Amino acid sequence: MTTTTQVRAAVVARGLTKVYGEGDAAVHALRGIDVGFAAEAFTAIMGPSGSGKSTLMHCLAGLDTVTDGQVIIGDVEITGLNDKQLTLLRRERVGFIFQAFNLLPTLTAEQNILLPLEIAGRQADQALFDRVIETVGLRDRLRHKPGELSGGQQQRVAVARALISKPQVIFADEPTGNLDSRSGAEVLAFLRRSVRELGQTIVMVTHDPVAASYADRVVFLRDGLLVSEVERPTPQTVLDTLMALEA
Amino acid sequence: MFRTTLTGLLAHRLRLVLTSLAIVLGVGFIAGTFVLTDTIDAGFSQSFAADADKVDVVVTPKDGAEPDGNLPESALAAVKAVQGVKDAQPMVSGDAPLIGKDGKVVGDYPTAGVSIPASRIKITSGRAPSAAAEAVLDRNTAKAQGFAPGATVTVLDQAGKRQEFHLVGIFDVGLDQDLAYRGAVAFTPGTARRVTGAKGFTEIDVISSGPSPERLRTAVAAAVGDAEAVTGREHADEVAKRNHVDTSYMRLGLLLFGAVALLVAALVIYNTFNILVAQRMREMALLRCIGATKRQVFGSIVLESAVVGLLSSVLGLLTGLGLGAGAVAVLRAVGTDIPTGTVSLSPQTIAVGMCTGVVVTMAAALLPARQATRVPPVAALRTQVEEHAFRTGVVRVVFAALFLLAGAGLTAVGVLQKPGQAALLAVMAGGVLVFFAVLILGPVIVRPLSGLAGWVPARLFGVPGRLAVSNSRRNPKRAATTTVALTVGVTLMTFMAVLTSTMRTTVSGQLDQQFPADYILSSQTGTIPRQVADTLRASRDLAAVTEFRGKKAKVNGREFEVGTVTQSAIGTAIEPEASSGTMDGFGGSEVAVADFVAQDLGVKVGDTVTVASGGRKTPLKVVAVLKADVSLLPPFTMAEQAFEQHFGTVGDARILVDASDGVAPERARKVVDDATAAYPAVKVGSTTEIRGQFDEAIDSILMIVTGLLALAIVISLLGIANTLSLSVHERTRESALLRALGLTRTQLRGMLSVEALVLGLVGAIVGVVLGVAYGWAATATLTENVSFRLPIEQILIFIAASGLAGVLAAVLPARRAARASVVGALADS
Ligand SMILES: Nc1ncnc2c1ncn2[C@@H]1O[C@H](COP(=O)(O)OP(=O)(O)OP(=O)(O)O)[C@@H](O)[C@H]1O
Ligand SMILES: [Mg+2]
Repeated sequence: MTTTTQVRAAVVARGLTKVYGEGDAAVHALRGIDVGFAAEAFTAIMGPSGSGKSTLMHCLAGLDTVTDGQVIIGDVEITGLNDKQLTLLRRERVGFIFQAFNLLPTLTAEQNILLPLEIAGRQADQALFDRVIETVGLRDRLRHKPGELSGGQQQRVAVARALISKPQVIFADEPTGNLDSRSGAEVLAFLRRSVRELGQTIVMVTHDPVAASYADRVVFLRDGLLVSEVERPTPQTVLDTLMALEA
Repeated sequence: MFRTTLTGLLAHRLRLVLTSLAIVLGVGFIAGTFVLTDTIDAGFSQSFAADADKVDVVVTPKDGAEPDGNLPESALAAVKAVQGVKDAQPMVSGDAPLIGKDGKVVGDYPTAGVSIPASRIKITSGRAPSAAAEAVLDRNTAKAQGFAPGATVTVLDQAGKRQEFHLVGIFDVGLDQDLAYRGAVAFTPGTARRVTGAKGFTEIDVISSGPSPERLRTAVAAAVGDAEAVTGREHADEVAKRNHVDTSYMRLGLLLFGAVALLVAALVIYNTFNILVAQRMREMALLRCIGATKRQVFGSIVLESAVVGLLSSVLGLLTGLGLGAGAVAVLRAVGTDIPTGTVSLSPQTIAVGMCTGVVVTMAAALLPARQATRVPPVAALRTQVEEHAFRTGVVRVVFAALFLLAGAGLTAVGVLQKPGQAALLAVMAGGVLVFFAVLILGPVIVRPLSGLAGWVPARLFGVPGRLAVSNSRRNPKRAATTTVALTVGVTLMTFMAVLTSTMRTTVSGQLDQQFPADYILSSQTGTIPRQVADTLRASRDLAAVTEFRGKKAKVNGREFEVGTVTQSAIGTAIEPEASSGTMDGFGGSEVAVADFVAQDLGVKVGDTVTVASGGRKTPLKVVAVLKADVSLLPPFTMAEQAFEQHFGTVGDARILVDASDGVAPERARKVVDDATAAYPAVKVGSTTEIRGQFDEAIDSILMIVTGLLALAIVISLLGIANTLSLSVHERTRESALLRALGLTRTQLRGMLSVEALVLGLVGAIVGVVLGVAYGWAATATLTENVSFRLPIEQILIFIAASGLAGVLAAVLPARRAARASVVGALADS
């Protein structure tokens, strides 16, 4: 992937606006965002607290309705789909990793990983499954319930679950927010590997400049607007940009 | 603390409503019972009081007075002669079989022939009889038979002769249960005695010309000597008291069902508070962190339950008032003769309702409140509420085993005992103990059971199905209490179903033995003339005609019914079962004795007994002792010829008729009807009719009991709904996650429905097992020789209905879960 060729976008937002509430109580969480997320790339979204990162992600993933604008995943415009269509789209094309409460406590790690496929009524690709398990390094933990796993292991299970259905895009909202730096690094390294080796597309919201530095590109939000971006970031360049934003 | 509790309660109004509803229904049922019985009691008192004022003194015979336990005729003259008596009217009562429009006597029992004092008789249309040829008829019989004033009615007199009367009016029998049941024709006193042949009077009503009732009573009592004289008011009180006993039985019966409903409600409340405590773990811990003592935490839960109990009891009382009023309205609408007063909540009802409601609610919340005090303050700091894995404790198993052993032991003792009340009580006590064992073991058995119940759904409904089954197993304690509430109702319903179906088969078998015939002829008065049997025998359409005759006679010095049966029928039409000896070749001066009489008199096969009557003595040799409960034969059965020699020609008490093979029932029936047409007192019954009546009676009992138990079931469904909605609340994040991963709204709803289905099925399975086991045990204590029958269809219906009801209970919680927004659920922590 070189910079010269026009990059194919997996997810595109045009004029994305999101207003919570009405009248005096209205909160303009997103004020018209135009952004594209390249396929087979790892993009991070950063910004101060309350800048609209989570809102943007929810709108991109079709979890929340938008006030105005368009979101296109692959070749489907998802703004305008009804709940059922959105659900089916999520099933087929989107994967999720949340900050916490990622797993069903009653299911084993393996069952949690296979859950999206089961819901969609699809068969697991055994080769892919083995490869995912191998990369995440969870082989000996597959029969354990989430309660018996560490936080880092739980997040790795969540990552494996997001990968197993080969979605067009994986959205991750502060996936390392609850982890110590070592477990966090493991998960992030794994995310990057899945982009490189499996050709995944990942969009990740984070607060942490180090986490953002694992990405190929970082976009910055402030007050519901896209204000800046950094290609091939390092912790230092990210930190600098943040400082500039908050100043 | 008080304020915190109340704000907490108000913040969760829906939860409050669901929890309260269980208690509201339970208390409502109990209050409704009181309202209904109070209203009926008031109605009785009012009408008795109204009656009482019309009569000043009532004279009734002392127990065991002669003749026929009536007042002698001389008493009337004696009363009339007393100073201060304005009028004295006698009451006469006997049999006057009324002949209906079909030319046959009416009803199963002879219509009563009475004379009622003018001061007491309630004429509803026309007038009271004043001449010898006049009569009035009770309202129900008149309506059923289609008689109106102006018509001519025919009754049979004491000699069985037809007597015609001019119907001048219709009267209301009022509260006389006997007259209401048999129907009544009222005449003038003279006619009543002539027709019925009654000697003396059953009652004399005295009206004063001035003296107070008390003074008059003393005077009358002195005049009649050996009789009871009371004032009209005392008499009314006495009758009212007798009726009160009736309503208190009804009250007790209904309260029993109320208690079951409250037990179920208590389980529901217990479970709800348990879940609430578990969910508010963090809240409690936070309270402890900021300085609340264990006592305060405990107090806040108890206080919450007190408020819930109080509120629901008040609502329950109102519901009860509504239920009672509804029942009274229904009673009035169907036109029963039960009098009803004004519907109201008595202070007693209010006290009982409030107490039971508050006490049950608070008692049910005690254990959860104690649980709440165990939450350590550090729990507030933990991020995720851990799934508390359930481990089977030793104490639990030991307790369950103790209860189970004691219960099973008691049950076995009851089953192995001779049938009777003691045996039944032992079985019931055993049942209660076993139920407790199940209650204790619930969390242990609910896991494998929900696996079993969920086997099919998990395979049928894909991922949602499998998730549902594992959800139903994840908190065994909660699932167990939820399902046990349903188990209570299902157990009792199954129990009743097994009992009634076994009774039905047993009785049907006995009917076959007792009435081995198509038709049974009997006479309402006297005997059936012998010509009837002769006419029947002449018909080719009938295969067997068996006559039964009987007379009272002294046997070995004591009076018994001695009878005989058509000689040729023995061993063919009827097959008496002998416990010793045999009736083969029965004849000559032989006798067969019923087992209970043989035991009484201490006679056995080979002994000789002597029948004595009318100065005649006949020695007879005992050749068989018969099992009485399966035999139609009298205590002593003689051979036909010997009977005739001793007693002379006696009419038939009963005739059994069997149609020939291949003869259409209508045709055989016509032959029988024709042969008896000339004898209005002879009634023809068919075995199918008898069986039909019995079936109807059993069906209506089953229906009433099932209806009353439905309340307990409804309450347990509220419990399922409550548990589910609290679980849904608890699993908001999980549901959101599943939705994010692509579970559709419908699938999420389906998941909760399946979970409810599994809970319902588990409750039903346990209930059915217990119900069948105890239904069987109870039938074993009723009589010997029961033919146990499992009402498989009914049981399957119970199981299916429970599952369905569970699904129904899940509708609202499931809708709420499906409607929640994914983002919102993910956002709040
Ligand atoms: N449901 C809602 N109703 C009203 N306002 C909301 C809602 N959700 C978010 N907001 C507001 O929208 C804005 C953007 O919120 P968002 O959660 O997207 O921020 P964020 O960048 O993810 O912040 P953080 O880094 O703290 O997670 C904030 O001002 C927030 O208060
Ligand atoms: Mg956020």
